[in-house]
Amino acid sequence: MPVMNSPYNGRQPNEFKILTELEGVPNSRSLEVYKKHGGYAALEKVLKGGMSPDDVINLVKASGLRGRGGAGFPTGMKWGFVPKAAGEKYLITNFDEGEPGTYKDRYIAELNAHMLIEGKLIGAYAIGASKSYIYLRGEFYDEIAWCEQAIKEAYEAGYLGDNILGTGFKHHMDIYVGAGAYICGEETGLISSLEGKKGQPKLKPPFPAVKGYLGKPTIVNNVETLAAVPWIIRNGPEAYKKFGTEKSAGTKLFNISGPVVRPGCYELPLGYPLKRFIYEDCGGLIGGKKLKAVIPGGASAPVLTAAEVENMTMDYEAFAAAGTMLGSGAVIVIPEDVSMVHVLENLMHFFKDESCGQCTPCREGTGWLLKMSRDIVNGDGAPGDAEKIAEVAGKMMGRTICTFSDAAAGPARSIPQKFAHEFLEFYKTKQSTARAHG
Amino acid sequence: MSNEVTLSINNQSVSVPAGSTIMEAAQKLGVTVPHFCWHPGLSIAGVCRFCMVKVEGMPKLQIACNTPATEGMKVDTVSAEVKDAHKWALEFHLINHPLDCPICDQAGECELQNYYMKVGKYQSQMEDEKVLKPKALDVGDTLVLDTERCILCSRCVRFEDEVTKTSTLGIFSRGDQATIGTYKDRKIKHNYSYNLADICPVGAFTAKDFRFKCRVWFLKESKTVCPGCSTGCNVNLFQNSNQREYYRLKPRHNADVNGYWMCDTGRTMYEHLNASHRISAPRLEGSQVASQAALQALADAVAGLQPEQISVVFTAQFTNEEYSAALASLKKMKGSLPKVFVWRDEAEKADDFDGILFRGDRNPNTRGMMDVFKEHGVTPVLLKEDFSSLASSGSELTLVFGPEVESAYPNLPKALGRFVELKKVVYFGNTLNELAGKMWLRIPVKVFAEKNGTFVNFKGVAQKLKANAPVFPAVKGVDEYFVELGQLAQSAV
Amino acid sequence: MAYVNVSRDPERGFKNGYLATSVVGMGTTLVTFVKQVFGLEESNTVQWPEVEYQYSERFKGAHFLTKRPDGRVRCTACFLCATNCPAQCITIVAGESPDKGVEKFPVRFEIDILRCVFCGYCEEACPVDAIRMGPEYSMAGLAEQKWVYTKDHLLERDAVKRKVGEKQVSKKDENTKHDTVESSLPGIHAMHAGHGH
Repeated sequence: MPVMNSPYNGRQPNEFKILTELEGVPNSRSLEVYKKHGGYAALEKVLKGGMSPDDVINLVKASGLRGRGGAGFPTGMKWGFVPKAAGEKYLITNFDEGEPGTYKDRYIAELNAHMLIEGKLIGAYAIGASKSYIYLRGEFYDEIAWCEQAIKEAYEAGYLGDNILGTGFKHHMDIYVGAGAYICGEETGLISSLEGKKGQPKLKPPFPAVKGYLGKPTIVNNVETLAAVPWIIRNGPEAYKKFGTEKSAGTKLFNISGPVVRPGCYELPLGYPLKRFIYEDCGGLIGGKKLKAVIPGGASAPVLTAAEVENMTMDYEAFAAAGTMLGSGAVIVIPEDVSMVHVLENLMHFFKDESCGQCTPCREGTGWLLKMSRDIVNGDGAPGDAEKIAEVAGKMMGRTICTFSDAAAGPARSIPQKFAHEFLEFYKTKQSTARAHG
Repeated sequence: MSNEVTLSINNQSVSVPAGSTIMEAAQKLGVTVPHFCWHPGLSIAGVCRFCMVKVEGMPKLQIACNTPATEGMKVDTVSAEVKDAHKWALEFHLINHPLDCPICDQAGECELQNYYMKVGKYQSQMEDEKVLKPKALDVGDTLVLDTERCILCSRCVRFEDEVTKTSTLGIFSRGDQATIGTYKDRKIKHNYSYNLADICPVGAFTAKDFRFKCRVWFLKESKTVCPGCSTGCNVNLFQNSNQREYYRLKPRHNADVNGYWMCDTGRTMYEHLNASHRISAPRLEGSQVASQAALQALADAVAGLQPEQISVVFTAQFTNEEYSAALASLKKMKGSLPKVFVWRDEAEKADDFDGILFRGDRNPNTRGMMDVFKEHGVTPVLLKEDFSSLASSGSELTLVFGPEVESAYPNLPKALGRFVELKKVVYFGNTLNELAGKMWLRIPVKVFAEKNGTFVNFKGVAQKLKANAPVFPAVKGVDEYFVELGQLAQSAV
Repeated sequence: MAYVNVSRDPERGFKNGYLATSVVGMGTTLVTFVKQVFGLEESNTVQWPEVEYQYSERFKGAHFLTKRPDGRVRCTACFLCATNCPAQCITIVAGESPDKGVEKFPVRFEIDILRCVFCGYCEEACPVDAIRMGPEYSMAGLAEQKWVYTKDHLLERDAVKRKVGEKQVSKKDENTKHDTVESSLPGIHAMHAGHGH
């Protein structure tokens, strides 16, 4: 279990516990334990406390909660896009968690999936959906079982069904297990997959909030986003806004990987210093190695150099200002002895495998980027190659249906640009002294 | 007007109905926006990412095919930024393309080649090995599939899903391994398969009946109307004019008649046009004679008879002008009209319709023929299973205008056998046919590609045919023969 | 200032005289003849057809078709030579090649050599180095002779074998199907394994 052992702004670690409240509690996945910690109180407040769907949307808007899947779109605003007209609407939870380095959603399911179910019910009430799905990644065997168990318990306890808590609110929830494609974590790709089609993103317009799953208005939310909703309802938006910065409210789960002393999943308020996170909370790099670079938000986030890490805070604005992104909050630490050429090749391999193959620049471009970076790794590189990679990546950006192409182009542009000297050295020695960790 | 929006493309203003896309507006204006996956007859896929345009006020380039045109929108398709996007989009299409143009039937009418010349990058930066994929796959009776040449525009997949609703094709695997193919145990088996070869912008789908036959740059196209059924699809007919050899037909867009497509049956309508299938000279009592001698024999035969001793048998495969000329000429020669019969195939189910284009009435001009008959006050007698009305008419001379497209008359030999039994038969036909050769006189006629005339389709749409140079210059059309016949009769008087 | 003396040759009258120059010419001929008879000087005359004159290797004479290393015709019947030919003397009929990697090959390949203007555009147009113009220059013949060179003639005639030899096999890289690519959809479904031609 990760340990929160660092004070922040004078507060104690347990004050940050919004999503990880049940951390360390025995039998945390059960409904009883959840209810003992205030579970389903938010749902009762919404349904029985006379809150209208608009009240819920306004409250979530006021809390400043932003989508935790990667894009960081304000959740309340997204819910507000759904047409008010009657008719079937859908709320889908994106539990596809495919971003390399990310394992926050599984952690929520591991602690207690009822958080998600309660958040989903509130969201469904807000947008007027009577049916919702949890789209799970196929490899998440345990998480599938935990979610199934939680849904079963919720049905038995009357939190799901045709007449929830006797208020007449009707909602049914189901699980859909995908086959493990990264692209199915993209909103419209997920909807395609859920519809039984090949998991490929759909053209926009129309947007899913207007025409999504089966042609009906659909909202797709990340697990972490929805799991935070009950706490916000219970404690009010002001309490949530106390955490984080002005534009990045609340806490976020951060997953750190790479050679740090204490890797794991940490709940931190947004705006937390990155350097402090790595060196204090996570205990620094193993063996006192020097930090070379950090990928701050999963594989698709452009890389930060050690110098850029110095004064970086972990929130949407600061990362955006540095030309990267918060993404899913997966912090990947790269030490001094790993060659960035290998890092690039490794990432390109991932993106080449995961491109859905629909749009030409991405389908052909990701394969090409891999071939070019592999040529350099194999010792066939020559000056100009890194620039060519960056150029090709640049031509892929913003030219496709979804942002996968931009995600692949992010590291393919930032690594050759920020570590040009390493590439030059690599061409000369043909084989860098460092090896990638794979 | 409230349901029209006005936008400007390259500073030219254009109004289109609300809900149109930039692509449609550009087409209306005549501005070419390069595209592969967009096809006006199919849904929008937006996957080739080639039709990038700059829309003022939008930070990123937009695809023209899926961006709705809005009032006052300013679109640019020629700026350096847009041109660069086109260059690179084409580069991405080409990096894994095998470039086997020398053996590809599409070469010469390939969109990749055309766009390469127009907007290409010319200097490719791709130095790595290309992705290899299966080639020359047999995917049905009519098509060959080369998955390496495919640019995955998904036009064919959408055609199968939306037009024929057969859903035989899919794109398998993902990333640069994505491959077009048929589903397991499935073959492309429907009457519209050649459309796949047409809509394929590259040489992934090529037609088996055109495979390796001729390079397209030797072909000249002429606009005409398909004689295969009463729908009357608008087509382009392709001929190698040096060899006078016809090679294929392709559909031509006509929203009122056939949309963008045509059927595979219609595609075979070039076969009977070529010299190897045709008769070139008249035969009188089994021996070849000159055209003039044949007409003289016919004129003599007609001259010695009363109108009621002559029967005329028409099929609905000639033009309005030909029916008119034949009837008018006979009337002039004999004072009144002889008995008129209409011959239709025994197996014909005239009201059948496949729901897309193909109709059970395999005659292109049934409606026009009936119109001409009405004009001349003729009430024809139908010959279908029962030929007794003709046999018992006691005619001394029977003029039979046989079907130009013999494949539309599956029971042709049976019917011809019945004609042979009659006294003196003059058969107007164009196809080599042993039974027709047994008639007293057989006169070759022009085919639809060589005639100027009118076909009226099942809906009553009258469509003009325009003549190509004839394969056999001595062969004439029915109208020309009857004009000459009239002159002969006149000079005899 | 330098100048050239263009004044009349004093011996002009003698040199211009027809008889005089003839005698001088005959003298030269006689001297050369005598020298060559006694082997004092080598003759420039080639004793054709007993002896053949050797032109440069780049001489562009009668066409021949090159072969692949396995001996089969290299031409893929792309028609570019026929398209490019200003004399329209090339006739090709394409067909399905027995070699799946090539797909297309010429069933017939004919050059009407009487129409050919030996411009070499066919060579230039060829994307696969399949047609070349060879060292053969003596193409005189009789009217009844076959003047249309057939594919066999272009590929196998003795004169080419004798004069070109190994050079008829072109080793140029070309775009044939890779060995590993079959006419099937591997890894998608095995159903198509039996297809192809």
